[in-house]
Amino acid sequence: MKLDPAIRDQVLATVPSLRAFAISLCGNVDRADDLVQETLLRALAHIDSFQPGTNMPAWLFTILRNLFRSEYRKRRREVEDADGRYAETLKSHPEQTGRVEFNEFRAALAKLPSDQREALILVGASGFSYEDAAAICGCAVGTIKSRVNRARTRLADLLAIDSVDDFGPDRATRAVLAGGSRS
Amino acid sequence: MTTSKPVNLQPPAPNEDQAEARDEMGRPATQRKGEVRLGREVQARIGQQLRAMYDDVVSQGVPPNIADLVRRLSDQDDGVA
Repeated sequence: MKLDPAIRDQVLATVPSLRAFAISLCGNVDRADDLVQETLLRALAHIDSFQPGTNMPAWLFTILRNLFRSEYRKRRREVEDADGRYAETLKSHPEQTGRVEFNEFRAALAKLPSDQREALILVGASGFSYEDAAAICGCAVGTIKSRVNRARTRLADLLAIDSVDDFGPDRATRAVLAGGSRS
Repeated sequence: MTTSKPVNLQPPAPNEDQAEARDEMGRPATQRKGEVRLGREVQARIGQQLRAMYDDVVSQGVPPNIADLVRRLSDQDDGVA
C-alpha cells in the first residue's frame, strides 16, 4: 500500500522541527540526523497506528523521544560525558549546530537535566501545549510545568541574567562559562 | 467616613495540580515557592534565545537524504524492499 501523499507531506513538514528537537536532545548533529532517520523508518513502518486528523508532530516527537530514551539507556556511559562531547561538537561543526552566537546559550542548555531541557524545548521552542508536551513525555501536565519552570530558573542562573541588560554579549560571563563553571 | 474599596485578600489560586505537591526531587511544593521568581523580561529573553536557536535549525529545512528516505519509504509497496 502506498502512503497517502497528504500524510507523507505532513511527515515531511514536521521534519525540520523534529530535527531541531533531536539536535537539542543529542547535542550532536550527526547523531540527531541518525535519530530522525530511525524515527521516520519506525513511523512509516507503523503509519497505520497514526490516526489521520490527529497531531502528526506530537506523534513523531513521541516516537523520536522514545527512541532517544532507549538509546540513552544503552549508551549511558558515553552520554555521561555529554558536556565534553558537546563542546567538541561546537568546536568542530559550529556551522552544523547553528550559528556561533547561540553557542553560549547551547552550552547552558546542555547543562540542564535532560528531562528539564526537553520540556523547555517542547513548550518554549517547538510550540507544543503543556498537554501535548506531557503526552509526548508520558508524564503529568503539572510535571511538565514544573520542569519548564526549573529549566528557566536554572538557565537564568547559568547565563547570569539579572536584568535584560545583562543578557547581551558579556565577556566576563562568557569567560566564566567557558572556563570555570564545569561541574 | 471614607469607605475604602475592599482589598482583594483572596489567597492566590491553589496549585492546579495537587498531585504534583512534591517535585521530582521529593521536595515539597512549598519549598519551590522559595525559589527565585524570574522576571518577565528574563523569561522573555530566554524564550527569544531558545526560539532563535531552534528556528535556526528549522530554517535549514529537510536535508536531501531525509527527503529521499521519506519518498522512498512512502512509494514502497508492502513486502517489497
